[in-house]
Amino acid sequence: MSSLRNSLPRRAHKERSQPSSRERFGLLEKHKDYVQRAKAFHKKQDTLQKLKEKAANRNEDEFYFKMVKTKTVDGVHRQVSEDNKYTQDEIMLMKTQDTDYILLKLQSERKKVEKLAATLHGIDNQPSNSHVFFAEDREEAKKLKLQHSKREIPPTSGDIPDNIKRKTERSYKELEARKNRASQLEKIYMDMGMQKELQKSGRKRKLREDEIVCPTNKPVYKWRAERKR
Amino acid sequence: MAPPRGRGGSSGGFRGRGDRGRGRGGGGGRGGDRGTPFKARGGGRGGARGGGRGGGRGGGRGGMKGGSKVLVEPHRHDGIFIAKGKEDALVTRNLVPGEAVYNEKRVSVQNEDSTKTEYRIWNPFRSKLAAAVLGGVDNIWIKPGAKVLYLGAASGTTVSHVSDIVGPTGVVYAVEFSHRSGRDLVNMAKKRTNVIPIIEDARHPAKYRMLVGMVDVIFSDVAQPDQARILGLNASYFLKAGGHFVISIKANCIDSTVPAEAVFQSEVNKLKADQFKPFEQVTLEPFERDHACVVGGYRMPKKKKDAE
Repeated sequence: MSSLRNSLPRRAHKERSQPSSRERFGLLEKHKDYVQRAKAFHKKQDTLQKLKEKAANRNEDEFYFKMVKTKTVDGVHRQVSEDNKYTQDEIMLMKTQDTDYILLKLQSERKKVEKLAATLHGIDNQPSNSHVFFAEDREEAKKLKLQHSKREIPPTSGDIPDNIKRKTERSYKELEARKNRASQLEKIYMDMGMQKELQKSGRKRKLREDEIVCPTNKPVYKWRAERKR
Repeated sequence: MAPPRGRGGSSGGFRGRGDRGRGRGGGGGRGGDRGTPFKARGGGRGGARGGGRGGGRGGGRGGMKGGSKVLVEPHRHDGIFIAKGKEDALVTRNLVPGEAVYNEKRVSVQNEDSTKTEYRIWNPFRSKLAAAVLGGVDNIWIKPGAKVLYLGAASGTTVSHVSDIVGPTGVVYAVEFSHRSGRDLVNMAKKRTNVIPIIEDARHPAKYRMLVGMVDVIFSDVAQPDQARILGLNASYFLKAGGHFVISIKANCIDSTVPAEAVFQSEVNKLKADQFKPFEQVTLEPFERDHACVVGGYRMPKKKKDAE
């Protein structure tokens, strides 16, 4: 917390103010405060003066590359664009590192989902599977049907304390959130992988809608088979 | 993500303290009403809490029930329990308290008479029997005191839970062919006296006929194309008349070219030809793909004909 406070700009000197009970007397002027304020003011004045002198005595023939590479846009200092700052290989490497990081996060998320799912079985939910009963004849089948329709009681008793219910709910929520995050990461990972493959050499083309076998809303590319020796 | 979670934890702790206050007031009566469910303080490995707060906890003694974190209550099936709390899971009472078999989570619960009971969470993603129980199977026939022959025991993850269910009065004969996973099975059985590991091929029950007595239930999870035959063979040796079987069928292992439902049907027909009478079949849907669990009886007495 203190480190955060230190990073923010602060007033160098806090002047003593007039107590609220004596506000009617106007500003409280203190010699000590005045000295500090005046010194700071004069220091700034001196700096400005020096800069002005430097600008006046500037050598017209002097040249630095920064003079060409930078400019001010609406008073904001800007460098000329850095489009070609990195080579193709360097960009590929950086992208690989990015995808590796995403993969790392994806795998750790999957692991967490697995761990949570191992302890959250959804006991109160109705099972989504199919349940078949075998009967020898019609009568037995009828009986089984009756029995099965009767047995629709929830497996756990209702009187669970609220604090425990809340805990369970929270865990289910976490599981759901992690599942979402894992699926998002997976999508990102696939997209990045695709971008990387597209940047590599090799002839490829985008398939038209009618050529795509499994319909998706994403672009599908096909690479020309290349003979490798 | 970390800061909000930390905040959640601390607020949870505060809430816990509030609960304790309530517990001192009327908690005793509340617990008495319920009777069966046991309440726990601290999950698994004895809740990791700050030392400072631990001191505060001393003051709230007496309200033992108030700060419960897990509630364990019995499941419809005998010997299986449900833990509610941070987890919402099937559990079995740990036969060897303090030991996990496959790094599963444990939950310990304080009873009314201040003794502790430990439960192990039963992962349905690793155990087909647990998946079947969650799938709402009517009866698994594996209950306290039962003698169970378990074919295809693998490393003994499910076997350990079956041994928890049958308890010290029951027996589990666990058959596994592979030596590698059999090693884990044997290590598990060292700690559990009701498990008898058998490293043999389940296709040749004659080889272990001297080790296994008559059993009440056969559980088969061998995932072989001829698993119906294997089950029939073992049942003819060891399963008592009127005993029961539970078989898990993986459709891909039997025939991957036809739809799963057809495979299950054909397997059930094979079982019927072998004096088995299937009662019910559940698919293990959210946990396993194209798996089914069939439960039934063996050489069942024909009651109906007698009645007529």
